[in-house]
Amino acid sequence: MNNPTVKDKASNAADKRRVTLAQLLVYELRVRDAMHKDPVTAQPSDSLRAIQHLMKKHRISGVPITENGRLLGVISIEDIINALDKGYINDPCDKWMTRDPVTLRDHYTLVRAVAEFDRHGFGRFPVLDACEQLTGIITRGDISNALVHHLEARAEQAVAHEAVLVAERQADEKAHRVVLRTPIKSGDFESAGKVSQRMRETLRQRGIDPEARRRAAIVAYEAETNIIIHSIGGELRVVIEPERVVIDAMDQGPGIERLDLAMQEGWSTAGPLARQLGFGAGMGLPNMKKSADHFEVRTELGIGTHLHAEIVLKKAELNPGTTAS
Amino acid sequence: MTIKDLIGCLQAELLTGSADTQVCGCYAGDLLSDVLASAKPDVLWITIQVHRNVVSVASMKDISTVLITRGRKLDSQTIAEAEQSGVTVLSTPLSSYEAAGKLWETGLR
Repeated sequence: MNNPTVKDKASNAADKRRVTLAQLLVYELRVRDAMHKDPVTAQPSDSLRAIQHLMKKHRISGVPITENGRLLGVISIEDIINALDKGYINDPCDKWMTRDPVTLRDHYTLVRAVAEFDRHGFGRFPVLDACEQLTGIITRGDISNALVHHLEARAEQAVAHEAVLVAERQADEKAHRVVLRTPIKSGDFESAGKVSQRMRETLRQRGIDPEARRRAAIVAYEAETNIIIHSIGGELRVVIEPERVVIDAMDQGPGIERLDLAMQEGWSTAGPLARQLGFGAGMGLPNMKKSADHFEVRTELGIGTHLHAEIVLKKAELNPGTTAS
Repeated sequence: MTIKDLIGCLQAELLTGSADTQVCGCYAGDLLSDVLASAKPDVLWITIQVHRNVVSVASMKDISTVLITRGRKLDSQTIAEAEQSGVTVLSTPLSSYEAAGKLWETGLR
C-alpha cells in the first residue's frame, strides 16, 4: 500500500460521509432550529412608507403584518415598489398586503421546508407555532446556515471520535489474543454465563459480526452450563484470536456414558434442580455442534470430558464512509 | 411493533427497559437450550422462568424483550442485570398460553 492511495480513499470516504450527514440533518433538524426568531413585524394600521423604512433599516425584503401575535398578511418588497410606482405608499398596509400567506409550522422538518420552497417559489415563509402565533421567519439562506452550523459541530465530533478509534485499534493490536480461563464449580447455576458474557463483550468491541458472535456465545454458554450441571467441576478456556474463537471445556469427570445418545436432541441426564431452572433440554451438545465450525468431544468414564470447539470470525460489515484503508 | 402496543392486551407490567423497545416476532419456551437454538434476534420471548440465566440467554441471542408469565417477578439483581444488558422485561398475570394467544391476535407473528 502506498500513501497517496490511502489518502485518496480516506478523502473519498470523508466526502461520502459528508453527503450522508447533510441528508440526515435535513430530516433531523426542524424549522424552529433554523428560522429567525422574533422577526421584525408591522401593524395593519402602519403605512407602506413605514414598512419601507423598516425594510431599509433591517435590510429585509418582507415584513409580516400581525395583530396580537396573529399573522394577518405579508408585505414584500414588490408590494412597496408597486406602491411607489402607483402612488399609494402612504396607505395603511392592510389594504395592500397579501392576506393568508402560505406559512410553515415550527415543528416541520427542514426537508419539508425545502420542499415548500421548491413548490411555491417564495423567498421566505412566516413560521407559526402550535398556538397559531407567529414565531419566526425562514429563508433558504437560514436553512443553509443551520446545516453548515450543525455539520461543523458534527465534523468536530467525528474528528474526536476518530482519534479515540485509532487509539483503541492500536491497543487492540497489541493484545489481539485474549485468553479467558475460568474454573467452574459443579452446581453453581448462579455463575452460568459469566465467561460467555466476557467473551461476547470482547467480540463486540472488536466489531465481530453479530451472527458469529451469537454462535460463539451459544457454544461457550452450553459448555459452561454442561460443566455446572453434569460434572464434578472443571475449567472453561476461551481463546479469542482475530480470526477465530477457540473454546475448550475440560472437566474432572464423571465422563459421558453414552456419547452417541448425548449427541441426540432431547436426551438428557440433568437432575431435577437443573430441569426446574430450564436446563436439561437435551440440546446442549447438539446446539454446540450446530453452532461451531469445528467441534470435538473426547470423554472417558471416571476421567472426564474434553470438549473442543472453534468458531471462525468475520468482521461485521461497516457502513460506507467509516471503512479504514 | 413496539412494547407499548402490547402492554395493554397483556395487562403487563414493565419491570425494566423501555416501552419503545421494538419486537419483530415471538418465541415461547422454558428450556434455555431450546431458546438458544431456535429464537431469532429481536423477538419477544415468553417464558415462566425467572432465573438470571433468562437474562444471559436473552442477551446472548439479542432477544429484545422477555415476557414473564403467571405474574412471576425477577429479583432485583436479575432486573439490574437485564437493565445492564439492555433487555426489556415485562411481567403478565396471564399464562404463557393466554399471552401467546393475545400476542397472536395483535398480529405479532
